[in-house]
Amino acid sequence: MISKKTLVASLLFIAGPVLAAPFSYDLKPQKITDNTWVLQGKLEDFSNKNGGNIVNTGFVVTEEGVVVIDTGPSLKYGKEMRKVIESVTDKPIKYVFNTHHHPDHFLGNQAFKDLEILSLPKTQQQIKSDGNDFAENMYSLVGDWMRSTEVFLPTKTLDIDHLDLGSHRFKFSAFTGHTGSDLVIYDEKTGVLFASDIVFYQRALTTPHTPGLGVWIDEINQLKNYKYKYLVPGHGPVTMDDRPLEQMTSYLKWLDKTLTESAKAGLSMTEVIKLPISAEFDSIKLTKLEFIKTVAHLYPKYEDLYF
Amino acid sequence: MKRKLSALVLSAVISFPAYAVTDPLESPLWDYLREKFIGNDKYVFDDRIKVELPSFAEDPTQVPMTIDASALSGDIERIVSWADLNPIQHILTYYPHPEIVPRVSLRIKVQQSTAVRAAVLTKDGVWHVGGSYLEAAGGGCSTPSMANADPYWESHLGEMKSRLFPREEGGRYKFKVIHPMDTGLVDAIPEFYIEKIAVRDAEGEQLAHMELSPPVSENPVISFDVRDATKKHSVWLRDNGGNEFEQEL
Repeated sequence: MISKKTLVASLLFIAGPVLAAPFSYDLKPQKITDNTWVLQGKLEDFSNKNGGNIVNTGFVVTEEGVVVIDTGPSLKYGKEMRKVIESVTDKPIKYVFNTHHHPDHFLGNQAFKDLEILSLPKTQQQIKSDGNDFAENMYSLVGDWMRSTEVFLPTKTLDIDHLDLGSHRFKFSAFTGHTGSDLVIYDEKTGVLFASDIVFYQRALTTPHTPGLGVWIDEINQLKNYKYKYLVPGHGPVTMDDRPLEQMTSYLKWLDKTLTESAKAGLSMTEVIKLPISAEFDSIKLTKLEFIKTVAHLYPKYEDLYF
Repeated sequence: MKRKLSALVLSAVISFPAYAVTDPLESPLWDYLREKFIGNDKYVFDDRIKVELPSFAEDPTQVPMTIDASALSGDIERIVSWADLNPIQHILTYYPHPEIVPRVSLRIKVQQSTAVRAAVLTKDGVWHVGGSYLEAAGGGCSTPSMANADPYWESHLGEMKSRLFPREEGGRYKFKVIHPMDTGLVDAIPEFYIEKIAVRDAEGEQLAHMELSPPVSENPVISFDVRDATKKHSVWLRDNGGNEFEQEL
């Protein structure tokens, strides 16, 4: 069914090309199931063009209020996200979560500073120690989209393993594979699994703070035990199956094997960077770029094993 | 496109005197640094001299680099490498030896986006200059070394781990040495770095050797290939504090 609102929106869209592009993230809430929306970011690297919107955020509207999962890469994003939430519901926002300390997931916090913002304890520490450097880096990568964005710490650390709100029960799990502190949120009522950046789908995973690929592979296996109906990755499209987990497992194993074999053969870092990405991963965006970064992050540890 | 361009530049070199050639990396400091490192000697830009780098520095304190002058093997006096826009430009000077392939891999620090060069002096007195451009967010030279926050290095200074890897021909040595490689550009931390490395044979005779500068990364990991992997080799090094270390490879 086409509502009046969408009709107006599509008319505007047709007129769009003759107008100057609006300086807006133009966030489009995607309703994935009852009461649950996801704002899907682009499968890109940070750029001046995308304003850092390469991330998935989400929110769940319960009878007693709204739960927000991640706040995006900038104050501007946070504000626009809040407007999107208000356009969908009159219910107040009850809780905001930061799943981990990477800048695209928490730099929108300022837009929610009047509310309770929760994270795992270690995530709060990590934002405290790395947040300003991340923010500075984001200013140089995406420019004016960041205007007035400052680090705003999670106000409270999470010390419970579940939360009942309205008829929803949210179960929390502390994972570590991506950053050492990664919050996975499972909504038992709807079967939606917000996997945070433990899962990337169709967009190459990033490794600057991983404790190790082996740890990450184990945690992907644990995710297979959730009887989810919908899987929301931190980056990439939402699915109703376990293709993202299969892709993560094969890609992580391929990375681990490639780095191990390179170290065993005594390859230098410049030689490893030039290795081809397996054709099996052709559908995944940015594999080459992220592989170069991963070699910088992880290869020294692999080399150390084979001296 | 770039390759075509440098091929064009190269053919220009053959038909015109070297001074007519402009820097393919268009660095503002080319003339100044050319004079500093190779004086007024004859030179050509030569894309047989490879400086292999990633296109961007993910970690500006540990940027992988390979200098490959093997195309001019047997004809080389020495190789000088520098990063144009580093506060300390000189990276290393390498004196090759017939038993060792003139190609070396290591990691460097960069302060900002910069051209990185390798100038190879051949026996006829001409410098062959290769280079690559590296994008970097910066700060690699003025960041305190990890050692500064962790006393581990104090009791392990100069410790080396090494291994010989088989290659299709000959073998590859890779070694890692514990050293802070401080640049002297961080407040109250004086420069402290390995300034000389030599590869010796079983009789203790020096084969190839290298002079290093502080832009070589902390805890250097260096690899190079030998033509005969059945021979025994050792590596000797000395830092600017006068500490000497030697280990069989």
